[in-house]
Amino acid sequence: MKRHLKKAGLAAFAALLSLSASHAAFAAGVLTIGRNEDSTTFDPIKSAQNVDNWVFSNVFDVLVRVDRSGSKLVPGLAESWTISEDGLTYTFKLRDATFSDGSPVTAEDAAFSLLRIRDDKGSLWSDSFKIVDTATAADPKTLVVKLKSKSVPFLAMMALPNVSVLPKKAVEADPDGFAQKPVGSGAFSVAEWRRGDRIILKKNPRYWDAGHVSLDGVEWIVIPDDNTRMLNVQTGQIDAAITVPFSRVSELKKDPNLVVEMDPSTREDHLLINHEHGALAKKEVREALDLAIDKKAIVDAATFGIGEVAYSYIPKGALYHYAQNLQRPYDPAKAREMLKAAGASDLTLKYIVNAGKETDEQIAVLIQQQLAQAGVKVDLQKVDPSQSWDMLVNGDYDISVMYWTNDILDPDQKTTFVLGHDTNLNYMTRYKNEEVKALVEAARLETDPAKREAMYVQLQKMAKGDVNWIDLYYSPYVNVTRKNIEGFYQNPLGRFFLEDTVKN
Amino acid sequence: MHRYRFILTRPLQFLPVVLGVSLITFVLVRLIPGDPARVLLGARATPTAIANIRAQYGLDEPIWLQYLYFLRNLAHGEMGTSIVFRIDVLDLIVTRIEPTVALVLASVLLSVLIAVPLAALAARNRGRPVDHLVRIVSTFGIGFPPFWLGLMLILFLAVQVPLFPVSGYGTSVGEKLAHLVLPALTVALSLSTVLLRSLRAAMIEGLKSDVATAARARGMPEGVVFWRHVLPNAVAPTINLLAVNVGWLIGSTVVVESVFALPGMGQLLVRAIFSRDYMVVQAIAMVFACATVLVNLAADIATVAVDPRVKL
Repeated sequence: MKRHLKKAGLAAFAALLSLSASHAAFAAGVLTIGRNEDSTTFDPIKSAQNVDNWVFSNVFDVLVRVDRSGSKLVPGLAESWTISEDGLTYTFKLRDATFSDGSPVTAEDAAFSLLRIRDDKGSLWSDSFKIVDTATAADPKTLVVKLKSKSVPFLAMMALPNVSVLPKKAVEADPDGFAQKPVGSGAFSVAEWRRGDRIILKKNPRYWDAGHVSLDGVEWIVIPDDNTRMLNVQTGQIDAAITVPFSRVSELKKDPNLVVEMDPSTREDHLLINHEHGALAKKEVREALDLAIDKKAIVDAATFGIGEVAYSYIPKGALYHYAQNLQRPYDPAKAREMLKAAGASDLTLKYIVNAGKETDEQIAVLIQQQLAQAGVKVDLQKVDPSQSWDMLVNGDYDISVMYWTNDILDPDQKTTFVLGHDTNLNYMTRYKNEEVKALVEAARLETDPAKREAMYVQLQKMAKGDVNWIDLYYSPYVNVTRKNIEGFYQNPLGRFFLEDTVKN
Repeated sequence: MHRYRFILTRPLQFLPVVLGVSLITFVLVRLIPGDPARVLLGARATPTAIANIRAQYGLDEPIWLQYLYFLRNLAHGEMGTSIVFRIDVLDLIVTRIEPTVALVLASVLLSVLIAVPLAALAARNRGRPVDHLVRIVSTFGIGFPPFWLGLMLILFLAVQVPLFPVSGYGTSVGEKLAHLVLPALTVALSLSTVLLRSLRAAMIEGLKSDVATAARARGMPEGVVFWRHVLPNAVAPTINLLAVNVGWLIGSTVVVESVFALPGMGQLLVRAIFSRDYMVVQAIAMVFACATVLVNLAADIATVAVDPRVKL
C-alpha cells in the first residue's frame, strides 16, 4: 500500500511540475532566440567572435552601419560624414541620441571609443585601428578623425560592432563592471545576463529610433545541442533558433508552424593549398586539382543542395564580386594528363580535416574519392579545430578546407589576408605573386569606385588564374522561426535587425 | 566517539590529492595541441596580437614557472582570469555550481527511487520470471549512451507528450525542478542499473541471513522481515557504491548538461576545453576533484553512522 501511495505521489508531483513549466509562458512581444553558445563579454573591444557581435549590434550603436543588403554604408549614430580631399580627415556629424542611462551621445564618447580600441591593452583590434592618428571632438556633435595614411576601407571599418560608441564616463568609472552590464545607445538594453543560460534584453525607450522597434524585449538563450535547439523551436518553447544544420532544413520546412529563413552570407568555404610543398608549387598541378574536384557534387552532398558552387574569393552578394570569373569544369581525365605532364602523376597529399565538423568530414571523404579519380592519393588526418589552425600556420599540411566570413563591407580586409602577402602567409597558403601584392595595395588607396571595382575584378581573375586556393562553395545563414515571427533576418555580415522584428 | 576520528585525519590526505590533481590537469591541458590566443583572436589573428595575449596571461613563460604562479595564486584563493570570458574564474564558476549540484542530487535521488523497489522486487522473487525481467531490462540501461537516451526522453516526454520542458533551467524552484526531471532521469537510468545489481545481491543475502530466519521463526510476516531486517542492511553497500560512482556521475553531467542546455559546470567545461581556456579547465577540474574527495568522506561518515559494525 505504501508503495502505491508513493507512486501516486510521484505522478501528482510530475503533473505539478509540468503545470508550473507551462505557466512560465513568455511575455508578449519578447522574442526568444536559441543559439549554441553564450556571449563572452559586453566589452566590444575584447571579443572577435560572432556570438558577441550578434548581441553587440542590438545593444550598442555604431557611427556608420551596413544596410540590410550588405552592399552599402548607411547612417548610424552619425547622420552624415565628409572625407577630405587627401582622404586623411573624416568628419562625422552625430545625431541627437541618448544612452540607455540617459546621458547624451557626444563626439567625445565617439573619440574615446575609437582611441580605446586602438590603445587599450585588452583590445583585440589594435592592429586594425593603428591607422588612426587622432580622434577629437570639434564640438559636442562633431567628431574629427585623422588617419596616418590614406585608407579607403576605413569607413567600412567604422561599422564593426567592436568600435561601437560607448559612454566614456560609464566605461572609465568601471570597465570590468561595464563588460558585464553595459550601457549602450542601441535598440535594446541589457536587463540581465544569466551566464551560460541567457541574455535578457529589454527595449531601450531612449533609442533614437525607438518608434520603429516593435519587440518589448529579446532573450538570447544558450542551447548548445543542435537537436535540442531544433526541438525547442518545433515545440514552440522558443520563437527562433539560429545555425540550423543543413541536414535538418528539408524536415523543418515541412512543419507548417515554422519558417526556415535563408539569408545570404559572405561565407565561403575553400580548399587551402600549401604552395611551398613540392609539386604544389607548380601552377599546373594546382589547376589540375581544381579540375579534379567536382564542386557541384560537394554542394549537393555536404550542404544538401543549400550551398552554391563558389568561383571567386569575393563571395556572391559581397561588394565587387565578379560574376563572370573563370569556373574550371570538372574533368578528372584532363587533370590526370596535366599532372602527368607536370611530373606529378604519383602525387600524395596530406589533408588536414577538422574533426567533429559534420560537413567538413563529409567533404574530406568526397574530395579524397574525387582526387583518386585523377590519380592523386589523399591521406586524411583528422584533428581538433584549434590544433588544425596551428598545423596550417606552421605549414604542416598539403590541403585543408577552411572558411571565411567577412566582417566588414569592404573587400580589402579579406583581400589583404588572402592575397596581400601580409602577416599570415596569405592565409597559410604561402602563395606568392608580387604583381598581386602591388595591386592589393593600390586598390586600398583608390577612391574612384569604378576604378576600384576594376582592380578587384582583376584581383579575382589573377587569384583564380594562379589557383591561390580552390573555391568550393558559398552558403547562406540558415535560421528557423515560428510562423508568427516576422522580419527576423541577418544581413550578409551577420547583423540581426531585431529592431525590425515583429512577434504577432 | 573514536569511531569518527578519521574525520579529523582525513583532511590531511586532501592536500596531496589536490596538489596531484592540480599538477596533472595543469600539464595535460597544456599538452593538448592548440593555442588559446589563436582561438580567441580567430582567423584574423596577427602574430603580434597573439604574442600580446600570450604575454597578458603569462602563457609565454616556461611551463614550470606558470605552474608556480598558479600555486601561488591558489594559496591566495585565486584561480586566475578566464581567457575567453575575461573575468575572474571563480566569479565565472560560482553561478554554474548550483545546476550541476542539483543535477547530481536529483540523479542520485531518482536512481535510488528506481533501484530500491526494483531490487526488492527481484530479490523477493529470486529466480522467477519477474527477477529475470528486471535484470534484462537493467542491462539496457547500461548499454544506451546518455546523449541518445537524453534526446529520446525529450522526444517522448517533452515533445510527443509535453509533460516536461525540452531544455533549460529556469529561475523559480518549481521551474528548476521541472527542468531537472528529464536530465536527472537520463543519468538515473544508467546509474540505477549499477545500484540495482548490488542492491539485489545484498538483499538476497539479507533474506537468507540468520536474523531474517530468526525473525521468520518468531512468526514475523515476510513483509515486515524485509522492511526491518533486509532493507537496512542494504543501505551501507548502496552508499559506498554511490560514492565510488561519483566520478562517473560528474563525468556524465558534462554530456547531459549539453544535451539539456543546463547552465552548469559541465557545459562550461566543454566550452573551456574547446577554446583552450586553461584557467577555467584547471579550476573546474579542481572543483570536481575536491567534490569527489568530499563525497567519499561523507560516504564514509554515513557508513559509520548507519552501521555500528564498521570501523575506519
